[in-house]
Amino acid sequence: MTNQLLDIQNLSKAFEDEHILTQTSFFLQESKTLSILGKSGSGKTTLLKIIAGLEKQDNGTILLENNDITTLSAHKRNIVYLYQDALLFPHLNVFENIAFGLKLRKINAQEVKNRVTKMLYDLELQKHIHKMPTQLSGGQRQRVSFGRALIIQPKILLLDEPFGALDVDTRKQMQRLCKETLKQYKITTLFVTHDLKEALIMGDQIGKMQSGVLKTFKNKEEFLNDPSTGIKEEIEFWKNIHANEE
Amino acid sequence: MIRKALIPVFMLMVTFPIALLLLLSFGKSWVYPNIFPDQFTLQHWNDIYQINSELLMVTLKSIGISLGVSSVVTLLSFFSSKHISYSVYKSRWLFLAYIPYVFSPVILAATLQFYFTFVDVSGTFFGVILAQLFITYPFGVLIFSNFWNPRIKAIAELSNTLGGNSWITFYKVVLPLSKGVLLLCFFQVFLISWFEYGLTALIGVGKIKTLTLSVFQYIQEANIFLAALASCLLIIPPMILLYLNKRFIFTNQQTI
Repeated sequence: MTNQLLDIQNLSKAFEDEHILTQTSFFLQESKTLSILGKSGSGKTTLLKIIAGLEKQDNGTILLENNDITTLSAHKRNIVYLYQDALLFPHLNVFENIAFGLKLRKINAQEVKNRVTKMLYDLELQKHIHKMPTQLSGGQRQRVSFGRALIIQPKILLLDEPFGALDVDTRKQMQRLCKETLKQYKITTLFVTHDLKEALIMGDQIGKMQSGVLKTFKNKEEFLNDPSTGIKEEIEFWKNIHANEE
Repeated sequence: MIRKALIPVFMLMVTFPIALLLLLSFGKSWVYPNIFPDQFTLQHWNDIYQINSELLMVTLKSIGISLGVSSVVTLLSFFSSKHISYSVYKSRWLFLAYIPYVFSPVILAATLQFYFTFVDVSGTFFGVILAQLFITYPFGVLIFSNFWNPRIKAIAELSNTLGGNSWITFYKVVLPLSKGVLLLCFFQVFLISWFEYGLTALIGVGKIKTLTLSVFQYIQEANIFLAALASCLLIIPPMILLYLNKRFIFTNQQTI
């Protein structure tokens, strides 16, 4: 039995006359990943930014472990928001980037060193410890960004299409590594993507965002059988291609 | 091959006027049509070090004005440019920042003169600094408007979600990233202020003399030796800035 960690109640947001989020409600279970699918402009990023405290909602409540964090500043929430771009601090090397959050928490130097070394090992980055961000590949930068977030053991990790800028092979590797590491560190995650396959691979639970409304599915079966997800059309498409080739 | 040959020519074109000015600053008498002065002396340079030396006072005053203007503009425009760059009315504000350059600084000074006289700051040290702010502040805003881009905003937000409050994010993330552009703005504004003539002459109403004004004055008086000396003093700070610029900004950009 898992606990309900995040409870979103009736979140709404509009920019001038445009409604971005409309009465969005859902909850997130501890140590689980909720994949949110949606097209560009469907309100996914706004939802994540509101949960992170980087954007203010017009209405609604955010409960984290039953505490109301609706008006709490971003730096006090312990919710990390990662962008598609790794956004490593360009003036810091790999070690310093990963250690950033720990140093802010005034953890002693030896402990920082031990934890960063372990994280580098878990993310297969040991060889790159002293490199600057410009000396890393796209996948390596994304892993450093991931490690920098995980090491502070956030209550929730918000991933906004984190592998969108990577090539197919690196993307696959990152999905595997990310899934394993999230499981190992027991991190509760909201994973936003527009890639159907990625949503299925990464999520324990799936949701679909459409025109500012989030619909969550009880399980993957329900998601696969729902005509609004478009997944049946996708399966038919690949079946037809296969049939035509034969 | 041509490039190699052009480098010494270019070097000569740059160094010759400086060398000539330096030579003239040691001159004592010069008669047409001689190229170089007949006699040389250290007296002009020695005079600078006298406590009552007018040129020393003018130099110090010029340094004071330029340092004051560049420090205020760098600080003020750094923070205000952030709000302008992230404002929904960004293009409107940036359009306003170009207005002082659409008018020339002299016309701007003529417009300001009335108000400056009215509040009695015309012909004062403070008045000249204030007047120069009118043209250099928008310049600073324009320099920083490229720095405050969505990427910097996202990096700062990321630092926030990692646990950094506004001050820590500024001190540990934004400041190190902005070091280059801060120095660039400071140097550029210092140079604008240092070589500013028309606006300073009008607002200073002859009471505030800067080194640039003195060079023109000595030239008008046909005092070529003092004009050369003042010119030498005038180019020393820009040369130091050029060196610092190369040493720090360029190195910084290489690292980042």
